[in-house]
Amino acid sequence: MSRAIGARDHLVGLCIAAAYVALLLVSSRELGMNRDEGFYVVAANRYAAWFEQLANDPSTAMTPEAVHHGWENNHEHPSLVKSVFALTWMAQQRWELFEMPSMAYRFGGMLSGGLLLWLIYIFGARAYGRQAGFFAAFAFALMPRVFYHSQLDCFDIPIALALTAVAYCWWRSLTDWRWAIIAGLVFGLALETKHNAWTLPAILWVHWVFVALGRRKAAGEAGPRRWVFLTLAIFGPLLALGGTLYFGVLVPTLAPEVPLRGSVELALLPIPLYLVTIALVGRWARAPRWQRLVPWGLIAMAVMGPVIFVALWPWMWFDTAARFREYASFHLNHTHYNMAYFGENYFAPPMPVGYPWVMTLFTVPLVTVALALAGIVARARALLPPLLLERLWPVGRAEPDSSRTDVLMFGMLLAPMVVISMPWTPIFGGTKHWITAYPFMAIFAGVAYVFVARAVRERLPGKIPAPRYVGSVGVAIVLMVAPAIETHHSHPFGLSHYTYAAGGVPGAADHGMNRQFWGFTTGSLTGWFTDEMPDGGSVWICDTTWTAWQMLQDDGHLPENIRASGDLYGADYAIVHHEHHFVEVDYQIWAAWGSVQPVHVLTYDGVPIISVYENPRRRARRERDAQGSRGSPVR
Amino acid sequence: MRRSPLWLIVLAIAVVEVVGHYVVQSRVVTDGQWHAAAERVRAGWQAGDTVVAAPRWADPLVRRELGDLLSLSDAAPADLDRHRRLWALSIRGHRPDAAPDRPPDHDAQVGPIRVLRWDLEPEPVLYDFLAHVREARVTIADRPCRWQSGRPRGGGLGQGPIQPGARHQCDTRRSWLWVGATVQEDLDLLPRHCIWQHPAAPEVIAATFEDVPLGDRVVLAGDLYYEHERMLEHGPVEVAVFLDGVPLGRMIHRDGDGWKQMQVSTRIPERGDRERGDLRIEVTAPDPDMRTFCWAGTVREGDPE
Repeated sequence: MSRAIGARDHLVGLCIAAAYVALLLVSSRELGMNRDEGFYVVAANRYAAWFEQLANDPSTAMTPEAVHHGWENNHEHPSLVKSVFALTWMAQQRWELFEMPSMAYRFGGMLSGGLLLWLIYIFGARAYGRQAGFFAAFAFALMPRVFYHSQLDCFDIPIALALTAVAYCWWRSLTDWRWAIIAGLVFGLALETKHNAWTLPAILWVHWVFVALGRRKAAGEAGPRRWVFLTLAIFGPLLALGGTLYFGVLVPTLAPEVPLRGSVELALLPIPLYLVTIALVGRWARAPRWQRLVPWGLIAMAVMGPVIFVALWPWMWFDTAARFREYASFHLNHTHYNMAYFGENYFAPPMPVGYPWVMTLFTVPLVTVALALAGIVARARALLPPLLLERLWPVGRAEPDSSRTDVLMFGMLLAPMVVISMPWTPIFGGTKHWITAYPFMAIFAGVAYVFVARAVRERLPGKIPAPRYVGSVGVAIVLMVAPAIETHHSHPFGLSHYTYAAGGVPGAADHGMNRQFWGFTTGSLTGWFTDEMPDGGSVWICDTTWTAWQMLQDDGHLPENIRASGDLYGADYAIVHHEHHFVEVDYQIWAAWGSVQPVHVLTYDGVPIISVYENPRRRARRERDAQGSRGSPVR
Repeated sequence: MRRSPLWLIVLAIAVVEVVGHYVVQSRVVTDGQWHAAAERVRAGWQAGDTVVAAPRWADPLVRRELGDLLSLSDAAPADLDRHRRLWALSIRGHRPDAAPDRPPDHDAQVGPIRVLRWDLEPEPVLYDFLAHVREARVTIADRPCRWQSGRPRGGGLGQGPIQPGARHQCDTRRSWLWVGATVQEDLDLLPRHCIWQHPAAPEVIAATFEDVPLGDRVVLAGDLYYEHERMLEHGPVEVAVFLDGVPLGRMIHRDGDGWKQMQVSTRIPERGDRERGDLRIEVTAPDPDMRTFCWAGTVREGDPE
């Protein structure tokens, strides 16, 4: 299915990426920092200090104490993306590249967003044609929550980029072994981006089963030997990768009493053993092209991935097993977030199975969801396992290729959402946790777009004197108007936004859906606070972090004399971010200040986002001052 | 071969979505419209009234407009039995949960907002424990708890209700052992203006309200702090009501019960017709860990419903 893609295509991809990054830079000006961004800013600053030390005094920087000091902060997440944040921040300090400090931290995230569009275009174009790829890039860019996350110094868009890139390299490796090495390299970077990447080999192995069954004719002459070889080709990688993971990662992590060295030596065995075995069985099965039935990409990922993961993360350089154990433990025993869903505040598993699916329907533009579903239906035949395909659906338009591209795309779309649907999965909440599915949803939307454009073109009167592409462009515009409007309208309330399928923001509020998280909406109050406190004052900041507040000041959105306060009773103002479980804070303010009346309610489409309360003592002081100034004699 | 016309449905969805977006926008209720509707309520406001929003998510907007008319007990009521009239500002076809199951006595449309009012039949309340918490004699294992005034303490997600500045502090080493008025979120996340009385063990914490008009019954309801009840993993809490040392009744509150009410009669034939007496409320728990109990109560006339 892979189509020829040349430099011109990459130029198109580059232009899309550059335009998106430029748009994100502009839009991020008015986007307040969220909780997690604040944590990563702190980590990036520590990393930056270590990089400085490395440049000035490398021998000291490489000591265990210095590495620990530089990289210990926020070590529940790998360091690659935060290192990028640190480097762009260092560049900002030296050259003042960006208009605002927050942009310097966020630029790495924005760049990931741009590169992801480029990749979606190339992947889609190679798999289904340029029109599909081009449309897919826009469909992804114009998902309101994708647009929001693309502006942040967080990991969600970088990991979407990394996982899509691994899938792409893996897909290319099925026809060109050189891509296997790149796949291994990129997988290592993906592991160093976010923990989601650890699950990827399982998805790719399922895809490999389809590929191997489709290539069974390469497994020697028909007969029992072919099936023996094919069985080895399918389950051998699973055992080899499983063995490597077991001895190389799980045993050192979960059974610290086992000597690390012995375990790692054992981890080196399964893959060579598998390769020798499959070569011998291939000869025995008289399969001259047995190499086609080895998933070289997966092998490279298993070999290179963990090595790159450790090599790029200085915190892992010392006391590796214990630190990896700590890292894994954080994610295996993840705390549950509160998440509202149809009026219920969920705080412990199981979350309803439908959660990621309904949230996708409610937050991705309806037309994009409809297109993606239509695209999947259009390619349904190519999604069937080879043996079933020949029996159940022998003839049809959608023809699977030898790389089973459709299965890979569908698997990458399905897997993150299925994982979140599982009853044992911790409650994470945000759509960002399955945002890695959306590039593939966008590609299926691109597939459907091509069908719609053709259907329209076939029905256009032949006498219309217009070039052929006009119809396709017109259809693309019609299909992208709603996503463009909704994405524009979602800013800067990205996480509060719901699409028409939910009845918009008020409809979602009626349904009792989550209204926001991370406290990022405080950024929309800066103008109000500046007007209300011309002489400065203090604000009790609820879910906003100190770093996020500081960044609003550093960016020039808030004057320095309007301070964040941790003293609810003593602050001049207090805010409440409206989430179901945050009503507690409302009630605390009522009890502390004896008033239930907010002086200001920040709304989005009429739905309360933040309530602002004024300390009654400040109000009394203000009113006294106002009376005093009215009563003062006129000179 | 021509593509199926079914593909054109997607174009129709695209158009519907654009139109739908603007329809949703056109129906957004503006601040000015809220203000106009609130003015209608303010013009008809009487003592004993309360007001709510329908749907509940609009509550901050209603409080912004009319919050100055609401006390803590209005905004965080134990029940609606004491209110004379219930106003509601309703949008998007919602009806308030607290409304009686009958048509409103007043119904006016102000822009996109319906101003509704139900006239209620309040129960005569002779005594509200919340209003007298300061005068209560509070003891821990029969030792008096000290009344103190200071700054309220607390605040923040997961921190539980505010510890009021004015409270009976029973143990300085166990800072949670105090009795006083606060606002707590119940299991349904609703606000409850209530008296915090965290049990201790093995001591008994008791709040005695002296010379209380006895009426016919004590109505008492209570609950635990949302985060401490929702996991359903802790033991029961018992609330016992005594009149001049004689037990009137008790309620066991278990995790999952939510805001739970008890009613006990204050008519004890053996006591004769004495109209006043000392009411003591004891809150105990075999394991007091995270038993953040908060209650509200009144003495009322009339038979229970």
